[in-house]
Amino acid sequence: MDLSKLPNDMKLQLCKSYFKVGCLFLPFVWAVNVCWFFRDAFIKPAYDEQKLIKKFVIMSAIGAFVWAVILVTWITVYQTNRVSWGATGDALSFIVPLGRA
Amino acid sequence: MSLKHIYLLVTIILLIFKGYSCERLHELIYSSIEGSAACFRRLNGTHQTGCSTSDKGAVGVVHFVQDHDDVLWLATNASAGPYMAVVSTSKFGLVEFLIDHPTNIAGVLTYENASDIPSFFTHDTRCPNEFSSADGNQCSSSKEGGVVWNEKGTGLLKREIPFPIFFIPESRYEEIEKISHCFGRFNYDKNNQRGRSLCSIQLNSFMFAAINTEVCMRRSATSTIVTTTKVCDPLGDQNVYYSLFPRTKESKKQSITLVTARIDSASLFDGVSPGAASSVVGLVTLISAAAALAQLIPVSKSNLYAETNILWTLFNGEAFDYIGSQRVAYDIKRGVWPPNAPLAPTDVKLHVEIGQIGGSLSDYVNENTWPLNAFVPTLAPSTINDGDNDIQIFLKQLSNAYNMTIPGIFNGSLPPSSIHSFRRILSNVTESGEMLEMLLVDHKETFTNVFYNSALDDSDKIAYVYKNISMINNVTFISTAELIADGLMKETDTQVKISRLATALAHALYQRVVGEAYTGNITVSAHLVDEMLYCFLKNETCKLLSAAEFGGNEGPREGAGPAPLYVGVTSWNTVAPVFAGHLLALLTGTQLSLNKSQCETKPESGYTRLWLKGWNHNGVCIETTMNFSQALSPAFIISDYDFKSGTYSTWTESVWQTMWARVFVSASGGSACVAAATGAVSTLIAALLTFWLRRHSSLIFVDPPSATIVVDDAASGILRSVNC
Repeated sequence: MDLSKLPNDMKLQLCKSYFKVGCLFLPFVWAVNVCWFFRDAFIKPAYDEQKLIKKFVIMSAIGAFVWAVILVTWITVYQTNRVSWGATGDALSFIVPLGRA
Repeated sequence: MSLKHIYLLVTIILLIFKGYSCERLHELIYSSIEGSAACFRRLNGTHQTGCSTSDKGAVGVVHFVQDHDDVLWLATNASAGPYMAVVSTSKFGLVEFLIDHPTNIAGVLTYENASDIPSFFTHDTRCPNEFSSADGNQCSSSKEGGVVWNEKGTGLLKREIPFPIFFIPESRYEEIEKISHCFGRFNYDKNNQRGRSLCSIQLNSFMFAAINTEVCMRRSATSTIVTTTKVCDPLGDQNVYYSLFPRTKESKKQSITLVTARIDSASLFDGVSPGAASSVVGLVTLISAAAALAQLIPVSKSNLYAETNILWTLFNGEAFDYIGSQRVAYDIKRGVWPPNAPLAPTDVKLHVEIGQIGGSLSDYVNENTWPLNAFVPTLAPSTINDGDNDIQIFLKQLSNAYNMTIPGIFNGSLPPSSIHSFRRILSNVTESGEMLEMLLVDHKETFTNVFYNSALDDSDKIAYVYKNISMINNVTFISTAELIADGLMKETDTQVKISRLATALAHALYQRVVGEAYTGNITVSAHLVDEMLYCFLKNETCKLLSAAEFGGNEGPREGAGPAPLYVGVTSWNTVAPVFAGHLLALLTGTQLSLNKSQCETKPESGYTRLWLKGWNHNGVCIETTMNFSQALSPAFIISDYDFKSGTYSTWTESVWQTMWARVFVSASGGSACVAAATGAVSTLIAALLTFWLRRHSSLIFVDPPSATIVVDDAASGILRSVNC
């Protein structure tokens, strides 16, 4: 879909719906929202709907960032501590590596 | 058109000449090493032992190791990357140094050479099964002093080894010659190896399990959404038991004499565990003694001697913390063994174990004698001199029957044997002296068997040569006296010695049951012993086992070589206990004149019925008191057992997918760099070319002039209106 061919109100609707979908525990949708509408929100010259689009893009960015922080922290903690957690570590794992701890 | 035909013809010709070779080109550089046996991983309650490689295998440059200078060079001066040490079994001690300095070692390939037999080769610990021994055991690997049973033991069987070890048996010596040629061509110049093409070996023995039994059993059992991979299996198999008189739940309380031996052996390498001196001699002694006693006291006389019984048992898994005997002792304590007619611990009055008796046979190869000793752990020092203790009486009867004194050793540390399990688990009756115990061995202080539990414990180590004597009418065995008189065997032969011991045991047990010395002339035939040793040590396809196998089995078996005696995993029953059990049934059971379908009906209580092939291979119905019981450590049947407690054996074996070895010549460092550089440069050139083409595409790709005007107009009009 080429954003340059869409009228502005449709752009706003798209941005809003992507933001809403991202609220269902889908941080990647928020990330996509940010990347896709970044030009329209900040770089294009001002038009009516730009204020709201800007708001959604910023909220999506914050949400994606928070998710990223949480995920990176959990992944680091899990990868470094899985072995020392013993049975709990194995219980948390979907795939346990073969042939080693 | 003719061009197409030419292409077709060329393709067909190529297919005809090359159509059968479907290997990838890169696989053609390898030459596979066939017939190798790998060291694999076992785990117990607290540790993992044995070897493993990474998923992709281990690659190393070949280096033949002959003496200490070679290993020193490998550890310090060698420069061409990880090495694969190729060492003969006679120099296996050098591997110990490599284990201590493993940084430059990718693996070890060890081979057996008939012209260079090692003087000892045993990898069990110096104190076998030290942690499953009863109190009073003086053999300790950590403390100094005390008696050490397995003097030459390296302990590798129960240690973690940092690299893979593969074993090439004597029958595959041509693989070593192949590697030697390759080594001579490429690797000879030790000092200039870096950067050259070198003869290398890749070994793969990737093991799934890790850490210890508790972890691997937990990982094998977790139920996730996707089916779990089993990563390890508990060690276990079957015990075999056979009672002289049938036992039923209703029979009166009997005073039982338990006569036991072990049936299993072990080794570092998968599939190679002959166990000649470690187990087979004891196994064959027990089976032939049981067969003789069944002739001396036929089952028809069982009601005369209803108060006593002899229970012959073969334990499996003894090499790994006494799996079989621990399970039997545990079951006796719970009152569930033997399954059809359980006995109580107080029923067993005497336990005679046939221990390590095979080691000295090669020492006495030119003499008639075979000295034995009897360790007796349960006798209090004060009663030794009385001489009328039950066990001393039995020992005297045995010595008389054997024509040679078997001295009793009363205050020594007890050698590794199944008796330890009974002393630990049934301590009430063993310590109070209600169950007397006796262990028959051929050594006093340290094992005479210097190939204990190893891959090289084969028939040569017990001075056994197959005589291949034909049976009378295919049914009867020639008696020992006749064989010696006819010159077919000599008094110094291993078969004769074993038959004399089995005869002595049978006569002594006869005296114990009947109360009088045996005066007849039934003895164990050395011919039978010869055939049995052949079956267990040389070739599964033998006269005895063809007669003893299930009647439904078709045709002669394929097996070339003896069945390995390693206990294996619980989920896969090995053949050795089945052979032993069926042999016992065939030699001691009564033949019934029933056909196959009648034979399968429920027998009288106390018996099992088996449809075996029989001596004439036509099928025969045997009624016997022989049966099998599960030899799985109690650790795996007790719920929530603490695997670190050390009460019972916790050995498991890792699961693996494949194990293979192959030899190839590695690319020299230079050519790999050239290939990488060429690839990078051509990628760059292609990228630049593509970029330049895109920029100037309008200049390069000119529209061809249209052939006709009418048709194209409509087509180009339609194309222009589509907006992609």
